[in-house]
Amino acid sequence: MSSRVCKTCGGSDIDVDQARGSAVCTGCGSVLEDNIIVSEVQFVEGSGGVSSAVGQFVSADGPVKAPLLGSGFHTSVGKESRAQTLQSGKRQIQQLGSQLQLNQHCLDTAFNFFKMVVSKHLTRGRKTEHVIAACLYLVCRTEGTPHMLLDLSDLLQVNVYILGKTFLLLARELCINAPAIDPCLYIPRFAHMLEFGAKTHEVSMTALRLVQRMKRDWMHTGRRPSGLCGAALLVAARMHKFRRTVKDVISVVKVCQTTLRKRLTEFEDTPTSQLTIDEFMRVDLEQECDPPSFTASQHKAKMQQLEQELSRKLDDVEGEISCYKDEIESELEKSRPKLRGIYAAYAKELDPEDSEVLSVASEPEDPDVEENELQAAAQHLTQEFLGQVIQEEEGLGSKTDVGKEEEAGAVKEGSVHQRQVASLDIILGKLPTAASLQQTFIESESSDKPDDEQSESGELDLDGIDDQEIEKYILNEREVQVKTDLWMKQNAEYLQEQKEKEERIKKEKEQGTYKEKPKKSKKKKKELVEASSAGEAIERMLEKKKISSKINYDVLRDLNSRGTGSGGGSSPNRPPSAGPPDARKKLNRRRRRKTSDANRDLAANASLMGKRVRLLISSTPKKKKAANQATDQVTDQVTDEVPNKATNQEENLVTMATDTTTETPPEATPDPKPQTGPTPTAPPAAGEEEEEEEEEEGEGEGEEECVSALQLVGDYGCEEEEVF
Amino acid sequence: MDSSNDDALDIIVSNVVATFRTRCHLNLRTIALEGTNVIYKPEVGKVLMKLRKPKITASIWSSGKIICTGATSEDEAKQGARRLARCLQKLGFKVRFSAFKVVNVLAVCSMPFAIHLIDFTKNNRPIASYEPELHPAATYRIKNLKATIQVFSTGSITVTGPNVQNVATAVEQVYPLLFECQKPLCE
Repeated sequence: MSSRVCKTCGGSDIDVDQARGSAVCTGCGSVLEDNIIVSEVQFVEGSGGVSSAVGQFVSADGPVKAPLLGSGFHTSVGKESRAQTLQSGKRQIQQLGSQLQLNQHCLDTAFNFFKMVVSKHLTRGRKTEHVIAACLYLVCRTEGTPHMLLDLSDLLQVNVYILGKTFLLLARELCINAPAIDPCLYIPRFAHMLEFGAKTHEVSMTALRLVQRMKRDWMHTGRRPSGLCGAALLVAARMHKFRRTVKDVISVVKVCQTTLRKRLTEFEDTPTSQLTIDEFMRVDLEQECDPPSFTASQHKAKMQQLEQELSRKLDDVEGEISCYKDEIESELEKSRPKLRGIYAAYAKELDPEDSEVLSVASEPEDPDVEENELQAAAQHLTQEFLGQVIQEEEGLGSKTDVGKEEEAGAVKEGSVHQRQVASLDIILGKLPTAASLQQTFIESESSDKPDDEQSESGELDLDGIDDQEIEKYILNEREVQVKTDLWMKQNAEYLQEQKEKEERIKKEKEQGTYKEKPKKSKKKKKELVEASSAGEAIERMLEKKKISSKINYDVLRDLNSRGTGSGGGSSPNRPPSAGPPDARKKLNRRRRRKTSDANRDLAANASLMGKRVRLLISSTPKKKKAANQATDQVTDQVTDEVPNKATNQEENLVTMATDTTTETPPEATPDPKPQTGPTPTAPPAAGEEEEEEEEEEGEGEGEEECVSALQLVGDYGCEEEEVF
Repeated sequence: MDSSNDDALDIIVSNVVATFRTRCHLNLRTIALEGTNVIYKPEVGKVLMKLRKPKITASIWSSGKIICTGATSEDEAKQGARRLARCLQKLGFKVRFSAFKVVNVLAVCSMPFAIHLIDFTKNNRPIASYEPELHPAATYRIKNLKATIQVFSTGSITVTGPNVQNVATAVEQVYPLLFECQKPLCE
């Protein structure tokens, strides 16, 4: 665009027409440049028929370096990350806020909150969606709008508690004290949704009074305000003779039936509920109530007290009974010959020994009258375990003897129980663990010692730990076997999976294809491809960047060969930078990646062609060649038809282009944008065809040859020529 | 007012969580197969072992880090942890008991009066927060003690903090604030 010297006449007076994009020498009239980059404002039609200018603001105080065209970021070039974040945040706020019908002032406030949040780095590790929602909710709370967190979570389809967490955190960090939610705020909103017609206002007022009454009766602390509103509205509606069922109300208020009923019941318990409608409207009772949960817990406390008294009385009675029992037992014993001494105990079977242990162990601790009761209790407990202990006699026998005194009563009891238990033993078989634990329980009672200081060397301080007790926690060999078998059976699937995984890894290692967990490869900055012409640049780029093996390059080549005749002519006209073709190529890739369904839907004929092609192309490679030929024909037809159906398609494609432009985030390179502006039809069309084609060919296995991107570019040129 | 009411208020410690390290690699499968009361979770990679005497559940990782939960006092937690280490020692691992630390203590306490949460939150604006939509209790965080108190409208509170002493201090600190916002009982 610089005014140069004219080649033909050497004159330096060159007229550059911005609109036409041509540079003409005024001396000799030769055209020096045609189709140079125009710096014209392009307009694009957005959704709803709104026209907006294409382009982006580049900040004057932005990064000094020249933005890299094409290569570099796909996001908005020339802007810092912070500005991008804020911009994207603003957009999302606008979007979400409009769905909530918030006015502009609120949205601006929300954006300010967002800016604060970003500057405090609170967005790290959180989804932007959540942060935006939290900012909006903060605004709702400070402004007092009747929006619930539930509404926001409905819109975003996110768990309300997650949003709540974010919201709480933001409020805390930003030191924003959101005023507490007043259920009265929600009444008008819900009343409106319940459609009371002309009487909405009256019903709202009644409901408000009810809510205030509930507040005074302490029903509202700790409860969701929406539940209260629901109950109040239901009652108010009924009072004004509207038939609103519980279901209607809960669908509006978003609580469940149970909650609503509970609130109604609680309200019923208050004295206000006894008033008639008229009385209620006129009079306000002075008396206040306790919160319902408080009364409930008091009720519980009373019940507990009663139970305690009962159990105490029972205990007394039991004590008497056991006293009698002991006396009877002792009488019985006296009538039988007794064996005294430790050795006598050995002569008997071991069950009484164990019972002795029980009694002896408890002896030193409770030398009172209650001993009998304790023993009775211990006996009851151990009855089940005694059966199995027989098996462990060897181990136990040695441990349990320490100098003991046997008490006659205990021994007798033991022997009595033993007879009953013998059968148990046979039935239950061996469950040593329980018994060992029983032992543990008793022994540890006696071996309770205070703890010692921490040993910093890492040595385990063994005070207070009874080894024997610990050993009970460890199974012996047979038990280990049993458990192993059980565990193996239980976790067979998991073990199987693990084995397979290992085998797979082994195989891969042998083959040399073993990869550790594929880490996300960082995007490498793409190097600038220096080339004299566009075609060369693209070839070079293609070499560097390996094109997918699933693309059938034959077809592509054929497709492009049609256009090479005219495309070759136009390609020199293309600006000689590697940028735009790359950009376009990448744009296409991006478009492909984004699989813009909009493209398919909008361009009707292309999709029809696509369908036909897809039918032809199956996944089997055999049909591929036939399919490819078919695609050739089809795409030829497509390329023919494209320029023919001028108006229709242009419009479609224009809208399509705008859709894609609106879809792709504003961080898209400014390059594709101005270029999609003037050439809305061609790139999308070509891109679309390519898109479909390449994806169709993806369905069939691709060829190995690498297509020269020149042909791809040539395609563009072809389209462009024909359209314009 | 505080001290006299402290006697009346019993703070019941309901859970103590502690961690320690054994400084040696543990084979989880061995533990799972040879120990009683163990649950092996291979998907997560840990073994849950429950002790009976101090009622404790321990999560054991193969790196040797162990978390003990369920104790009712700090001493109990330590005792349980040592028992556990001893048990592992018996299973054949070269266990060394190190870096024992009580990480969290949970206590509940009940006030003899109901509390007006909204007033309470208003008076203690930034420190207390109350979101009825999310949770029925107001949360009061004491930064220097690192304790969090959840206040319910019925007057019962739950306190979590890094050790029992902090918890007790937190209760003492918060008591006067709660007393101010109490709701006079009608009955």
